[in-house]
Parts: sequence; C-alpha cells; structure tokens
Amino acid sequence: MLGRRGSLWFLAVPPYLWLVLLFVVPLGVVAAISLLPGAGRINFNAGWPSLNQYQQVLETPAYLRRLGISVGMAFVIAATATILAYPVAYFLAFRARGRATIFLILLLVPFASSYLLRVMAWKLLLGREGAINWVLTSTGLTHEPAGLLVYSQAAVVITLVYVWVPFAALPIYAALQRVDRSHLEAAADLGAGPWTRFGRITIPMSLPGALATFFMVFIPTVGEYVTPSLVGGTDGIMYGNLIQDFFTRAGNWPLGSAMAVLMLLAVLVLVLLALKLVDLRRVAA
Amino acid sequence: MPARPSRFPAWLIAFVSAALLLAACQSQGGPSSSADPSAGAESAAASVSEPNALTVLEWSGYEAEDYWTEFKAASPDTKVDFQFGISDSDILSLMEGDSTADIFHFYTGWQQFYVDEGLVQEIDTSKLTNWDKVPDSFKAMGQVNGKQYFLPWDWGFTSILYNTDHVNGEITNWDALFDDAYAKHISMWDDGPAAVTTSAYIHGYDETAITDDQLASIEAEWKAQKPLNLHYWTGEYVDFCPEVQSGDIWVAYAWQGCYATVLYDESQPIAYANPKEGRNSWVGLYGISSKTESYNLALKFLDDKLGATSCGNAVALFYYGCANQEVMDAITDPVLIQAFGIDDPTILEHTNFTPPVTADQRKAWTDMWARVKAE
Repeated sequence: MLGRRGSLWFLAVPPYLWLVLLFVVPLGVVAAISLLPGAGRINFNAGWPSLNQYQQVLETPAYLRRLGISVGMAFVIAATATILAYPVAYFLAFRARGRATIFLILLLVPFASSYLLRVMAWKLLLGREGAINWVLTSTGLTHEPAGLLVYSQAAVVITLVYVWVPFAALPIYAALQRVDRSHLEAAADLGAGPWTRFGRITIPMSLPGALATFFMVFIPTVGEYVTPSLVGGTDGIMYGNLIQDFFTRAGNWPLGSAMAVLMLLAVLVLVLLALKLVDLRRVAA
Repeated sequence: MPARPSRFPAWLIAFVSAALLLAACQSQGGPSSSADPSAGAESAAASVSEPNALTVLEWSGYEAEDYWTEFKAASPDTKVDFQFGISDSDILSLMEGDSTADIFHFYTGWQQFYVDEGLVQEIDTSKLTNWDKVPDSFKAMGQVNGKQYFLPWDWGFTSILYNTDHVNGEITNWDALFDDAYAKHISMWDDGPAAVTTSAYIHGYDETAITDDQLASIEAEWKAQKPLNLHYWTGEYVDFCPEVQSGDIWVAYAWQGCYATVLYDESQPIAYANPKEGRNSWVGLYGISSKTESYNLALKFLDDKLGATSCGNAVALFYYGCANQEVMDAITDPVLIQAFGIDDPTILEHTNFTPPVTADQRKAWTDMWARVKAE
C-alpha cells in the first residue's frame, strides 16, 4: 500500500507529466527555434544560436505597436467579459437556488456549437443587412443601415466578449459559492443594506475569482488570431495574426517563434506586475 | 500563387498545416539524399513493387473527386490521401520537411526552389497520354534547366475586379487599388509578393530585380493604402467573393473565378479590368516528389488529371482555366468566354506571367507585407 506521501506523488505525477510534455517541452522547442540564426526552414545545424530574430522584432516598431494594440484589446475584452459575467455568476450563486444546475447547463449550451459558427454568426449580425442594422433601421433609430459594422477592432472586441462571457462566469460563480453566507446574515443583522453587503462582503470575497477570470480571458486573448482574421479586417489585425503569417505564409518559423516568445514574456511581465499591484490575499481578507 | 478555392476555414487549414509542419520538424532537416532528378526512370523500372496508394499535397477544395475523376474511375482500388497546404510557402516547407506526399501542387514562381533542393523528379512525358493536348507555352512553365519537372494544370488571370455601379468609367490601371474614392470598399489579397508585383506594374519596376529603395517605397505606399481596405482577403470563395456579391467590395485584386461567379449569379454589375500595364497570369503546377515510391502511379494520376472530365470540372466548377487545350477550345458558355478572355486573341500579349524570384526576394517581400499588416 502507498503511504500518504506516496499517494500524493501518485496523484501528482500524471498532471505534471502532462504539463511537462505538452506545455514545457513544446515551449522549449519554440524557444529553441527562435534562436536559430537563419530565416525560413528549420535547420538546427545552421549555426550557433543567435538573437537575430529577437533583434529583428525589436527593431520593427510596427510589430511592437501591434503587440501594444493587442494587449489593449485583450484588456478591454477581459475587463468587459468579467464585468458582464459577474451578474450572471451572481444570479447563479445567489438567486437561481434549485434551478442553478439548469441555468448552468443553459449557460454552457453555446459550447455545444462550433466556435467558428459562433464567430461567423457575429459576422452576419454585424453585416450591412444584419440583425443589428435591421433593429436600428426598423426602430427608426437610423434612417439608413449604419454601414458595415464587421471588419473592425470593435467587431473583434464584441465577438470575443460574447465568446468569453460564459467561460468567464464559471470561476466567478465558484468564488461566489465560497462566500460564507453567515457573513452576509451577520451584516444584515447589524443593519447593513443589500448594497452595503454586496460592496463590503460579496465583492471583496469574490474578487480573487474575478481577477482570475480576468487573467483567464486576458492571457489567451493577447495571442488570438482566429477571430480577428474572420471579423477584424485591416483595423482588427492582432499580433497573433502576424505570428500565424510567419508560420504559415512566410515559412519563417524562427521569426514567428521569436515573436511568440516575446509575446509570452510581455504577458508574463504584465501579469506579474498586476499581481504585485493587487494583493489577492489582502483583498480577500 | 493564387489562393485556391477553400471549403475549410483558414484557421482549420492553418491548424492542420501547423500539425503537419510540426511533424516535419522531426526531419533530419534536408531532402532525401535520393533526390536525383533522374530517379524517375529507376522508379519506373520498379513499378511492379509500387504501393497502390498515393498522397497528394493539395490546396483545400482540390481534393474533390471532380478534379481527379478519370483516375478514380480507372483506379477505384487505389487509396488516394490528401494533405493540405495554406500557401506556396507552406507547401514548400512541408515538402522540405517530412511530408509523405507523392505529388504536390504549387503555383508559378516557386519552381526553381523544388529543383534546387532536389525535392522533385523529372516527369516522363512519354508516358502521358494527354500531354499533347497541353500547349507548349504551358509546358514551358513546368521546365527548369531544360527538363520537364512539373505538369501544368490550372491557370488564370489576376486583375482588378470592380463594381460598375460604384466605379465611374472603366478601370485601366492597377493604381485603382490605391484610389481613396473607394475607401473601405477595396480588398487586396493578403500576400506580400502580390503587393510587390502590383506596385512593380504601376511604377514600371523590374519585378525580378526590386531594389531596396524600391521596396521601401512599395512598403510606404501599401502602408498608406491599408486603411482603404475593407479587409485583406485570404480565400477566394471564403472571405472575398461573398463580399463582392453582397456589394461591400467595389474594387479588388482578384482572379477570374469570382468574376465568373458574379457574372453567373448577376448579384452585382461587375467588370474585370484590362489594365494598361497588363493583367497578371498564374499557372498551377504539379510535381512528383523525389522521395515517392509510386512514381508510375503518380504519373497516371497526373495524366488523368489532364483528362477531359477532370479538366472540364476545373473550368465548370472553379471557373479556372485548365492546361488541356481541347477543354478550353470546347468552351461555348459566354460567361466563361468572357472570364477567360477567349474572345480576345491578343489577351496574352498584354498579360504578365509570374516570374521566378529568389528565396531572399520572397523573404524580403513577405517581411515587408508583415510590416504593412502590423502598421
């Protein structure tokens, strides 16, 4: 029989193995490719590792500007998705009661359809003859269709917020479920109104979950490329699209890898900075 | 060169390509040492032991049996698998890696790379029953160093497609793509070499010898042009033609496939320019991998692709030209006659065929385009 320590190891090994094989090793491969001196095909015999690719990226202001734009868009998307997901999660945790499971399933229904289909649906909604323009004209808000709403940064933001909100609600819901109801009852007994209880107890205690949600949306969104390529047009191009181009169109994996590593580092720095600024344990306390 | 009809989303194709390329990373980093152009004859001698299976590295959409009908009918037991590339560069990368493809499909301008790297073997045209139906001008497209390495198949034009409801008069110059009168209704193909070619036509540059200064000025003008685009299109029938049909795109860099589509459905009043600098023309070529163990089967596959039905389907379904001249001569449909310029005997005199360029030039051009997109 395994002892307690042995059981812990037994349980811990598979996820760590998974993480190492499917995350750390591929990341290492990307980092190794980014150090190849030449452009084009992968040839590990081409010479000594070099920072040529990094130099090329850092000396191209347009790439860095696009990274900045992508970080900005990801911030807006993550913040909006978190804010919109909060009431949904609050409803599930505090108001849905016995029907919470049903509502939770309903929340996850969109995931039963293809991601691509959901994005394409927004392409139709935002089109010149799409639902949004139809509402605008049929309600008399505008006399003519407002033009093509798709193919813009706004279209990317709207579509990704829509895609993320159901996901974003889940960690907040989990955080809200952990809020000790007795705190709320005690506050009510002491005369605190609903808004005071919400502001002084619910929000602080669920903030770690909300921040986790924010980062869960923010981090992958910085490198997003599918949605911008479908609804972004020339304005909505993101840094991830450039990386994709270097891998699939330019056949320049070393440069694409260097761009990917730099993006990873930039996101890591931002997240660490944010965690430094916001002390989650203090907030929760 | 042109993006072939794509029935799959670009991200899916990109994902599959990335997976294939990842597999390719495991290679020793070079083509097989058996990459001998004369290997065809040896392979032919070994035909008895050839596997009864073929893998074709294709563009999404071309895997449909409509485009290899004769082979399917004649060899129903042969297993034909398809791998997919997303761009000419992608296909070259896959072939440089560990692609198991026996046959690969790419477009003019990339021939020399395959020969120089020993990725392709010579085609024994004496075994092709449909070879005499291919015009000499097309045969020449597949020749490198005087040898027939490639078999031409699909072809077409590149020019400016425009909506005559929104464009006053006739477009006679490639610089219509830079006209701010059509702001947010222009669409350029998402391709660096295409951008350089277009600028070369406009400014009279030698496309094969673009200088650094010329490239810098090309980059500046495409950066300035970027806000005029509705989007950069990637798939002719995915994100381009539907926008032309809906009337959102008025002026675009386009192949004749979408022109014919819109002529047929009459969704918009449309015209296809004959710029004074000339149209561009591209030709799709098939090569047989130097690593194939199914040389004779690959030859049979390619020969059958030149057959009347397969070639005819390329014309009738894609609205692309096909290298079998008998098929082209049999066209009576007025839309296709218009789309291919068959009624204009001088059309080829003012058409520029895509020239081969070096790997360094291609890299410089694709890097330039990435900077334009990032701007």
